[in-house]
Amino acid sequence: MGLSSAATTTTPGEPLKFCIFDLRRGQHEGEELEKILFFFPADLPFPAQLSVVGLSEGLITFTRIFSPEAACEVIEAEMHSHVFFEAEPDIWMVMVVAKSKETEAIWRIEALRSVLKEIHSLFVMFHGSIRMLLDKEPGGGLTRSHLYTFIMDYLSDFLVGNKFLLPNFRDSLKERGTVQMLTVGREAAIEVQSLVGTLDSCMGNALGYSVILFQDLLVSTTLSPDDTVNLFSYSTLRLTPRILSSGGSTWSYLRKGSSSHAESALDRLHGFQDSSSARGDNYQVLRPLQHGKWSKGKDGFLVTDIWGVEVGNLVPTTPTIWLQQIEHKMYLCAYQYKSVTILLLIPVTSMLNGEEGISMLKQQLLENASSKIHKVEEKLAKGWGGENAYHVKGYRYLLVDGDNNISRASPSGKVTTLAKESLLALNKVREDVDLERSRTKGDDLEICIRAKNNSWVIARATRGKQLYIVLEKANETLLYASEAVEKFSDRYCDGAFSLD
Amino acid sequence: MSSDSSCLSFSDEEVQNPNIHSIDHSLDAIEDQLSSIAFNSSIDEETPSVANNHHEPVTNGSNNEIQTEMRRNSFGESNNNASVADDIQEHRNNSSSGGELLDSVQSQRVPGKRHIHEDDASMSWRERKKHFFVLSNSGKPILSRYGDEHKLAGFSATLQAIVSFVEDGGDHIKLVRARKHQVVFLVKKPIYLVCISCTEEPYESLRGQLELLYGQIILILTKSVNKCFEKNSKFDMTPLLGGTDLVLSSLFHSFSWNPATFLHAYTCLPLPYATRQIAGAVLQDVAESGVLFAMLMCKYKVVSLVGAQKAVLHPDDILLLANFVMSSESLRTSESFSPICLPRYNPMAFLLAYIYYFDNDTYLVLLTSSSDSFFHLKDCRILIEKVLAKSNVLSEVQRSLSEGGMRVENLPSYPSTRSESLLHLNESRPATVPQDRLHESVSSIGGPAGLWHFIYRNMSLDQYVSSEFSSPITTHRQQKRLYRAYQKLYASMHDQGTGPHKTQFKKDDDYVLLCWVTQDFELYAAFDPLANKGLAIRICNRVCQWVKDVENEIFLVAGTPFTW
Repeated sequence: MGLSSAATTTTPGEPLKFCIFDLRRGQHEGEELEKILFFFPADLPFPAQLSVVGLSEGLITFTRIFSPEAACEVIEAEMHSHVFFEAEPDIWMVMVVAKSKETEAIWRIEALRSVLKEIHSLFVMFHGSIRMLLDKEPGGGLTRSHLYTFIMDYLSDFLVGNKFLLPNFRDSLKERGTVQMLTVGREAAIEVQSLVGTLDSCMGNALGYSVILFQDLLVSTTLSPDDTVNLFSYSTLRLTPRILSSGGSTWSYLRKGSSSHAESALDRLHGFQDSSSARGDNYQVLRPLQHGKWSKGKDGFLVTDIWGVEVGNLVPTTPTIWLQQIEHKMYLCAYQYKSVTILLLIPVTSMLNGEEGISMLKQQLLENASSKIHKVEEKLAKGWGGENAYHVKGYRYLLVDGDNNISRASPSGKVTTLAKESLLALNKVREDVDLERSRTKGDDLEICIRAKNNSWVIARATRGKQLYIVLEKANETLLYASEAVEKFSDRYCDGAFSLD
Repeated sequence: MSSDSSCLSFSDEEVQNPNIHSIDHSLDAIEDQLSSIAFNSSIDEETPSVANNHHEPVTNGSNNEIQTEMRRNSFGESNNNASVADDIQEHRNNSSSGGELLDSVQSQRVPGKRHIHEDDASMSWRERKKHFFVLSNSGKPILSRYGDEHKLAGFSATLQAIVSFVEDGGDHIKLVRARKHQVVFLVKKPIYLVCISCTEEPYESLRGQLELLYGQIILILTKSVNKCFEKNSKFDMTPLLGGTDLVLSSLFHSFSWNPATFLHAYTCLPLPYATRQIAGAVLQDVAESGVLFAMLMCKYKVVSLVGAQKAVLHPDDILLLANFVMSSESLRTSESFSPICLPRYNPMAFLLAYIYYFDNDTYLVLLTSSSDSFFHLKDCRILIEKVLAKSNVLSEVQRSLSEGGMRVENLPSYPSTRSESLLHLNESRPATVPQDRLHESVSSIGGPAGLWHFIYRNMSLDQYVSSEFSSPITTHRQQKRLYRAYQKLYASMHDQGTGPHKTQFKKDDDYVLLCWVTQDFELYAAFDPLANKGLAIRICNRVCQWVKDVENEIFLVAGTPFTW
């Protein structure tokens, strides 16, 4: 293409670049732009965009010389990290983030990769696979408009002012791509079980699924773990009472109360119109992540016009999503009572009379299940210890059950009390564990570090589970720290991490 | 130049070699991608850029010119572009006196040692666990651990393209990771060094190894080789490194067994305090007569070393110098006077090294900046040899070598009733486990409480001591694995952003590792993976006490004018 060096020079100050490209497209010289399915920032000149894609593609091919089974995962340069994720065969997502000590832009690569994974899983849940969209319309316009609106809506959650705050070392005690469970007492569990049965019978022969949440915590699911994670993520991003009451934006200790500002800044940046269709293009694009689009109806069901409205009576169309495990399109029906959110998923194919069938289902649920829902809500609310319910005094922890995609962690508010040095040390330890786990299974690993600031940073991995603990006010001996972990393991992890 | 230069030059026959033309499609693809998308004007058209060079890596006119120039250079013809290279070469030639010339060492190639038949299209080459490449910033291959550099011209150009592509974006590439593989870059313009490894060593270790590789090249050539590139960007450095295969392969090997490569500290041969004092005193006498550094070494271990006033010898320089001397066979047979650059001391200048082996393992290195002091240094050596022989230093050295150093089996109990001498302890090493240790010994192998090995580093002396390998760490493979576990531990303790940490306990399927970092020392200890944590901590305390008790024998301690 004979581009000048000025054209290929990317802006070093650009804090975030993000692209998705398809290696099967744009194979001929002069057609390279065809590869690009998404690029952020969209206003970066094409040569600079192509430069990012060219380097990524070059290194994917290069690393396959030595590592055919797993191509490039990360490029570390002095000022940037390039994080790779092959979302679908030959479809790559690459995120380029600028490092900066001043702005606390110190990342854990796996944490960034889990952002990419989440974007892709959610995208597939709403729109189907990228390859499927490309096959549907080989020109790529359809895919591009879907990706653009979807990812921009997703990224808006990370926008603070005019900057994106991606998960950094301060988020080391969090695990994206996992669900957080509510611990339920025996009595409540029986009620929940009974409710699940009732929900099943409401769906009749439709072979549907149900998910029950309390606040932002999962209570019950009949879905596969992967689909559960996706629906859980979506719910906590857009559906739960906390979100609906706050006006549609995700809550975070980093950006409390900045939601409306964040969105308007993003819209300003990217010329978004407050409409559910994609900007400028002729494609009708769903924006399932658009803020403020869900609300609670009088009957308790959550409504949105994201999926359009029925012509004539202005009744919103019931949302549909794709489940990964069964590859079926499902109606998504959400009901909320106080802190309880219930999601019902019914196969589109089994609902022959469409919206009418959904209305009947809703009616059935109100008639047959509402008393049980009220009872369950009451029980759960009674047993619920509030925001700090899972705080363990003296400990800052994260427990991940990788096999079941479940995690539990110290409340965010408590994690903020940790010193920066402790969190940085933890971030590094997690990075080391990530590496060990990617190479071997990382089973039976224990790391116990006394950091410069005298805090203890502890990592344990065993049989698919990981436990990370930071102890700041602990005794100086290793044995004391070990004993503290032992106590924690015995009490909260059924002894999964106990040594002897 | 030695006869090597001719065999390294590009002949027409090689150009016809089908291997060169059959550079793998994947490489073509990378180059196409990089070049078609954004290759830019910053790379000279004539340089072997990715865009135009991969199909004919050695055939274009400019490359032929380089060859002609280099051939001329090697015969000493005056040529502007290569005058510095001549200087380097001449310096080496002229400075040699007395014994064999260093060049004779350099001309010793061991064919097949580097799997010379391989190139990037060979599966065997791709599957090698650890590659090292050195190339010029124009993409010209300088050296490759495996395979023939010239057949790797296309590959080398790709590496160059990756580096410059990132630099064009205003950044500097450090690392590329693909699951088990890491590609580590070190840019020392005009030279690029690259390591491609699936050994699971941490990035920091691999980068440190590239630094040492660069240091070894500088030790042989000095940094003034840069001037060659300044004058001619297409300069071919390969002939200047001709014959150094053994030195470099020995260095690559040391990355998997020598803790000095990541600790950046040196180790001493255990000796009675008085014996080392005698050696130190005679070296001191010599140093006062115009010698910059005087080192008495036994293999890679220091017996004694002395520097002229205020002159400081960095442990990395000791390592690289020892590697050079030890791996150059011809230096063993007679006295040599050879130009050497100490990269940490002064990367720009050659010193002259007088090297003499007293026996198979023990050698003397006297470093000076004066090129006409061969006979003076020879006299110094005769004096030293006389003193060493008279006071039995050399036989003590041999005795220590055969007895070995600290053994985990000999870790004393405290309060100890034993003599506080390591050497005495080794001498009277009991055949069976002493009674006082039986109660804490998990198994009959290794030391008490499952202690398998340890490394202790004295911070103020920049020296370390490593225990001898004992059962069950007996094979080279096991030793290498343990060594790599230490490397990871070291890197994690000394993390740039958060380190140094104070303590670390790490347990995996292979070991229990304990590390303790203080202002005065660092201890790295490896135990049986089933070792008890509490006992292991107690054992570490005992190791520290033991090292303290025998430090006069295992370290070169203060009392010499050698300041750090």
